[in-house]
Amino acid sequence: MWILDFLPDFVTHLILIAGIVGTIAGFVLGFVPFVRTYQLPIQIISIILLSFGLYLEGGLANEAVWQLKVKEVEAKIAQTEVKSQEENVKIVERIVTKTEFVRTKGQDIIKYVDREVIKDNEVIKYVENCPAIPQVILKSINDAATMPHEAAK
Amino acid sequence: MRLIKLFALVLYILLAFLITGCSTPVPLTPKFPTAPATLLEGCPKKLETIEGDSVTIVDFTKSVVKNYGTYHECAAKYDSWIDWYQTQKKLWDESN
Repeated sequence: MWILDFLPDFVTHLILIAGIVGTIAGFVLGFVPFVRTYQLPIQIISIILLSFGLYLEGGLANEAVWQLKVKEVEAKIAQTEVKSQEENVKIVERIVTKTEFVRTKGQDIIKYVDREVIKDNEVIKYVENCPAIPQVILKSINDAATMPHEAAK
Repeated sequence: MRLIKLFALVLYILLAFLITGCSTPVPLTPKFPTAPATLLEGCPKKLETIEGDSVTIVDFTKSVVKNYGTYHECAAKYDSWIDWYQTQKKLWDESN
């Protein structure tokens, strides 16, 4: 309720107290001369004040419950954000390890090709018989390698 | 005349009752989780191509190995995206 945002809590309590006091005065203290003179207006205004005061008190209690819930949800969100960051760190660690492994493994294989494969008799024989790969095969391989580029255009 | 004034007063107060019920928005805006910067880097736009007139089977093999490496790096990133999404979704579901 927006009215509770700018209305201090004590005003709400005052309205309720005024309503209770007025209602008692209007309905019970009819024998007092001043009250007797203005009995009807006192009764009406008191009932209105009492109703309004009760309504605002209800709103105040409801607001307090909601504020508590908001605090709970805020705490939950903060907790989730921390957990999310922790998970992010774990994921980054995993991806860095995997990428590093893939790169190292790739380099190792290339080193192995340079060191061992070129010395292999079967390979030497193959290179002697077929010194260069036909251009048409290279073109096919290069076309396959640049395929996503073509799609992007 | 007095009754009319009283009626107007009651009506006025009743209207005040009505507008007090207007709600205010709750300032709760959960942030969308930020993905790690490593995952936001895209895969290489270009795979290695083989150029030259006398490309041997060895050069050919090396190029293929490099491209396989690129694939495996991208696959690792893609798997991490799935991992990230599932983890964040689980956390989100738990917080709601």
